[in-house]
Amino acid sequence: MNRRDLLKLFGGSLVVMQSPQLLISSANATSYSKTEQPLFIWVMLRGALDSLHTVIPEFDENYIKHRPKLAKQLGTGLPLEKGFSLNPALAELHSWYQNSELLPIVAVGSGYHGRSHFDGQDFLESGQSKVNSNAIDTHSGWLGRTLQMSAYHHKAIAIDQTVPISLRGSDDVNAWYPSNAKDVGDDIYSALMNMYQDSPKLSMSLQKGLELQKNAMAQQSGKQRTKFANLTKACANLLLADNKLSCAVLELGGWDTHNNQHGRLARQLKELDDGLASLKAQLGERWQHTVVAVATEFGRTVKENGTGGSDHGSAACMLLAGGAIKGGRILGDWPGLAKSELFEGRDLMPTSNSLQWLATVLAQHWQIKPAHMPALFGGLQTYSEQLV
Amino acid sequence: MSVHGLIAVNRFGYGAKPGELAKAISNPQGFLKQQLKQPEFNRVLPSASELMQKLYQQRQQAKMLESKKQESQKQQTQNKESATSPSNNNQTKKSPKVQQQAYRDFCQDSFKAAVKSDNSLSWRLLDFFSNHFSVTAQGPVMTALAPTLEREAIAPNLFGSFADMLDAVVHHPAMLVYLNNQQSFGVNSKIGKRKGKGLNENLAREILELHTLGVDGPYNQTDVIALAKGISGWSVSNKSKHSGRNGFFYRDAGHEPGSQQLVGKRFTQKGEAQGRAMLKHLALHPSTAKFVSYKLAKHFISDEPEQELVNALVARWQQTQGNLKQVVEALIEHPLAWQSERAKFITPREHLIFAHRVTEAPLPKTRNLIGLLNQLGQRPFKAGSPAGYGDTEGEWLSDKVMIDRITWSRMLAAKVNKLDVKQLIEQVWGEQLSQRSYLSITRAESRVDAITLLLMSPETLRR
Repeated sequence: MNRRDLLKLFGGSLVVMQSPQLLISSANATSYSKTEQPLFIWVMLRGALDSLHTVIPEFDENYIKHRPKLAKQLGTGLPLEKGFSLNPALAELHSWYQNSELLPIVAVGSGYHGRSHFDGQDFLESGQSKVNSNAIDTHSGWLGRTLQMSAYHHKAIAIDQTVPISLRGSDDVNAWYPSNAKDVGDDIYSALMNMYQDSPKLSMSLQKGLELQKNAMAQQSGKQRTKFANLTKACANLLLADNKLSCAVLELGGWDTHNNQHGRLARQLKELDDGLASLKAQLGERWQHTVVAVATEFGRTVKENGTGGSDHGSAACMLLAGGAIKGGRILGDWPGLAKSELFEGRDLMPTSNSLQWLATVLAQHWQIKPAHMPALFGGLQTYSEQLV
Repeated sequence: MSVHGLIAVNRFGYGAKPGELAKAISNPQGFLKQQLKQPEFNRVLPSASELMQKLYQQRQQAKMLESKKQESQKQQTQNKESATSPSNNNQTKKSPKVQQQAYRDFCQDSFKAAVKSDNSLSWRLLDFFSNHFSVTAQGPVMTALAPTLEREAIAPNLFGSFADMLDAVVHHPAMLVYLNNQQSFGVNSKIGKRKGKGLNENLAREILELHTLGVDGPYNQTDVIALAKGISGWSVSNKSKHSGRNGFFYRDAGHEPGSQQLVGKRFTQKGEAQGRAMLKHLALHPSTAKFVSYKLAKHFISDEPEQELVNALVARWQQTQGNLKQVVEALIEHPLAWQSERAKFITPREHLIFAHRVTEAPLPKTRNLIGLLNQLGQRPFKAGSPAGYGDTEGEWLSDKVMIDRITWSRMLAAKVNKLDVKQLIEQVWGEQLSQRSYLSITRAESRVDAITLLLMSPETLRR
């Protein structure tokens, strides 16, 4: 048992006599040395990751029926417990799983029931769980609010051009992004190609321009800097350079795989895997006190579509990782893939709430008093599962 | 018809600021006509005359420093053991030079004004005529003066007669210096005889070819020489001894004496009046009406405007002796200007202004703005030719620039990622966005992607 665990044990009895705010600051201030400060890194995957292609339910007999082509392309994944497997592109994460540093949670949803990327992202980032309200309040986010409640963990950095919604609501938040970044992202180019179908000159020009760029990119300049692995490395350096920084936000787009999903996801997941690997490597000893939470706005249809992809759905998976995580297992109830078990007959059914999992892991990792959590997460309680 | 409101805002203006489309819809023509007001600039910025004075002082200071430096170098070589070195050189480098500061301020000011303006048609027209009378910022003097031409000679005459605009432009030091007329003197003038100086035909030729009759207009080399003689002695004064008179300076001693025959008319006036009468004759010439009307229709409507539309502008030009407000009104009133086909490709500058108007993104820092326009091929006052920047799709739709435009759109989108995409579409196009573009934008995988696609949609690129 290390010093931190010991303090955790005693923590409960110390609470009673002091105000919660005071407790947090004094308890944390005495419990951690600077290098042991619990880091929290939030990675938002924009575009709705297909969880069935990531944490694969190979055991479910309906899986292959819904996705004969995709399942064949995917082949056998890297084994996890309960008959699940991990996409082979996630080799580094799989080694973490074996070290108990990765904890996938299956069939999670944020509580948002629509299928719009923007609204789904706003909903997940703001964490204010007003399912029936049309207007999502994006003035503050769960992470920003939680930071505000902690006298100890009070500084955050977003690896982004601006402060994302999840971090809003906190005073001490900064944003950093490589300057002169030139990388636009392949998904924008393909969306533009699609939009220019009726404009031959525009699409021709774009196509030729992309070829030019591809050749020029051989020299790798801006693109290198904005590769996810370099962003995570920069993120780790920023965290290491400032002792007061204990929170960071990253994002990675490119998950909206309506067609040719297998190849695209293999590249995307590899980029994610490389990025998280470089984050861990760069953090060094701090990794032991780090939690990384990776989630996406919603999942995709269970049945594969006609173009080798999947469309907007409901439940997805999320990943908790880091030296502080009690991983090597899978959480979340599996709802099943029989037609009657699907949400609206098409999507994976959410059986637990992604925001509630985030609340749980933050409450434990940053030792925030349970009484405060509902106010930070739009009324949501925490789960009883021990995650860190 | 709401589609006409849309055309009013996008084809004639720089794109819809919040609430603008709603204003245009009820009466699109009226909406445009009430915009025909002289553009306003930041009046704190220096005039051409003040800049010439400052440039003169800058040169004098540089000379003084240079002579001091030479003196101290002489001293140093005289007593070699002395190790003191003058640091004067470094001091001059600290603050930007007069011309650089002015150029940047002017570029930023007109960009900002165009983004903020409620009369964006008037700024489109200013850009058109500024490019029609293109001057290039090269060398210290032109870097400072080039941006002042549109402010001092073009804007004040934007809704008056073309003759007045031409007269003001040819009197302006930026034009006189750029096309070398300040040193053009008649061979038979006093200066010509005394100093052996002669004519420079540059400005006269460009007036005929680019500013009035057009390259295919009814003139020949004899006319070029006649006009050059007519405006000989039109020069600039940039010495402090003429303080307060920095700018146009008519040197009678340099004016070619005698009458001139220009494009079928004899000009017997004396002095400066002769050139003025010639310019007026050219401004009112039917070929000028045709040439400029065609360019206007080409700029706003299509790379190959229909003859019927051009004819309507020419007719109004002739009825009103080239009253520009009337000519623009004729354009606004013509049904062919409201055709639903989006035929005109947006230039980089127009694209940048559009993006900032519709998203209300924070304006770029001046250096970034100029750098960006440079990268996209339209650095202000850098056309490098008196013909100005090209005005067709072929010149602006290049493969490389396409990628560059996507890149800056993405960077701009990241700065305004709080915007509601559907609301933005409504603001810019109302109900008129194509289904394909609408779905591409609203189904993008993030808001930043969506705004990028909006800024690069076919409906944005062509209007």
